[in-house]
Amino acid sequence: MTTTTYRQAMREALRDALRRDERVFLMGEDVGRYGGCYAVSLGLLEEFGPQRIIDTPLSESAFVGAGIGAALGGMRPIVEIMTVNFSLLALDQIVNNAATLRHMSGGQFNVPLVIRMTTGAGRQLAAQHSHSLEGWYAHVPGLRILAPATVQDARGMLWPALCDPDPVLVFEHGLLYNAEGELAADAPVVDLTTAAVRRPGTDVTLLAYGGTLRTALAAADDLAGEGTSAEVLDLRSLRPLDTATIVASVQHTHRAVVVDEGWRSGSLSAEVSARITEEAFYDLDAPVARVCAAEVPVPYAKHLEEAALPSPGAVVEAVHHMAA
Amino acid sequence: MSAVTMVAAINAALRDAMDGDDKVVVFGEDVGRLGGVFRVTDGLSDRFGPQRCFDTPLAESGIVGLAIGLAIRGYRPVPELQFDGFSYPALDQALNQLAKYHSRSGGLVDLPVVVRIPSFGGIGSPEHHSESPETHFAHTAGLKVVCPSTPGDAYSMLREAIECPDPVVYLEPKQRYWTREEIDLPLRTEPMDQAVVRRAGDDVTLVAYGNAVATAMAAAAEAEVQAGLAVEVIDLRSLAPIDVDAVVASVEKTGRCVVVHEAPRTLGIGAEVAALVQERAFYHLEAPVLRATGFDTPYPPARLERDWLPGVDRVLDAVQAVWEQ
Repeated sequence: MTTTTYRQAMREALRDALRRDERVFLMGEDVGRYGGCYAVSLGLLEEFGPQRIIDTPLSESAFVGAGIGAALGGMRPIVEIMTVNFSLLALDQIVNNAATLRHMSGGQFNVPLVIRMTTGAGRQLAAQHSHSLEGWYAHVPGLRILAPATVQDARGMLWPALCDPDPVLVFEHGLLYNAEGELAADAPVVDLTTAAVRRPGTDVTLLAYGGTLRTALAAADDLAGEGTSAEVLDLRSLRPLDTATIVASVQHTHRAVVVDEGWRSGSLSAEVSARITEEAFYDLDAPVARVCAAEVPVPYAKHLEEAALPSPGAVVEAVHHMAA
Repeated sequence: MSAVTMVAAINAALRDAMDGDDKVVVFGEDVGRLGGVFRVTDGLSDRFGPQRCFDTPLAESGIVGLAIGLAIRGYRPVPELQFDGFSYPALDQALNQLAKYHSRSGGLVDLPVVVRIPSFGGIGSPEHHSESPETHFAHTAGLKVVCPSTPGDAYSMLREAIECPDPVVYLEPKQRYWTREEIDLPLRTEPMDQAVVRRAGDDVTLVAYGNAVATAMAAAAEAEVQAGLAVEVIDLRSLAPIDVDAVVASVEKTGRCVVVHEAPRTLGIGAEVAALVQERAFYHLEAPVLRATGFDTPYPPARLERDWLPGVDRVLDAVQAVWEQ
């Protein structure tokens, strides 16, 4: 086991994929000479050359479209969109082409495309650079949505995502790149379809993904100090959701709090809550609670940004509220 | 009183708003010379001239961007995005500019823009022309999203949306375009952010909007005939914000709730309604909130859409499921 960062784990995943399969290539804004806006692809241009590590113009619709075309043509493209905020410029390509071509062609064409993007707030990047739009994409039939929250998942999710015959979006929370974790040299292939219990508990289930996993784990620590045993579930796959694991956890804790950095209305937390109600209604001792971002453009000022985002304290408060 | 179609009601609302305020301008793909692919803007270009009702290139991002610029300069733009599935190229403008400019300007600038979008399926069109894009807009902080289900509401809610100082996404259920209602125009119905009870009942609450209101009404009538159930039907009308008080008041009475919409089930508006209802009315619920929705697939070809859309049978199955628990 070696200690590594999320960034290094993701870079190692890219390197591994590029070595394994000649059809794999990476393209996006500044991924080559600059090494990536978040330095994820640093050094890959030198190692794999400009045919496989390709800097693109600032034109998300065009380079995601090029990725779709390359995937249709038999390649295995990895497209990096610098952040989810810019992905809206490519939304038409993602929703109307990548996600639907298999259906529109009667199953004749599939789009084995992986799109990576940074997501989330917390770095004082203000309203236009702090979105968490995972829920938007998780609404779209035809896409698989992944949210690696650990070093192990950052290392392990990319290859199986590339093996998926359909488009996969990978959301990497910007605050995680410097997070450290232990990684085995022969890291096993991870399963893309299941949620994972990151901390077992008996009194309440905290459901989180991506950047909010840390929030939930911190809240669980605080709750443990009060004698409340919180189970923390990492959703990992946001589409499809692993409803069975979610329900199994709630069936033994009888209480659930969903922690989601997206705006509350119409968020992934709503879908998780709705599914828990549908599948485990008679096991619930209290309504499913949601701790989400405030429904405002994410503020620039540090204290306001902190106030707008889900915090461990807000999660603890939600648990107190349902116990009352 | 005369039997007014929804198309005629929307057309009248645009005409009356343009008559009343010369800052109201209408533009979009084919809305001028052609009068709109659904005839919604018929005659507006002749009446008001090409300065106030004009055709744009096929560039949705540009259409919404133009609306933002005009609004900043004091206009009240009412752009049309020709179909639901064409709204995606404009979402960067919608989310990053339209929804935020008021806040980003420290409240100095209002953006009184109404983006009209003919929406949903049921008219024999394929994907890109039959989508339900409301989740994307309703999840966007800073946008109001409304959806009329009757000609009277279509008129009233559009007038109100145009008067609103903030951006409104106005979703037109195109399958209902040619339905008629006996009304006198101009008229005002309930405020656009309020849900209304379309049919009263004590046993089960159906929550719907747009095309699905008619489906819910038909299912409610059928449930009464088949099982003697008194089903209450709530027309949400506003999807952002959702009038949760109205829904909760109904569920506190019935104890049972089914949400009906065309959009694919996962992360549809139904998820938000279900989450809100159980948050607010958990101890009144006799059964889990269920959803009768479109399937989690891309919109199907026309010959399959009747099977894909949530019809009366799918709603009745859900009603039966909540009733028998």
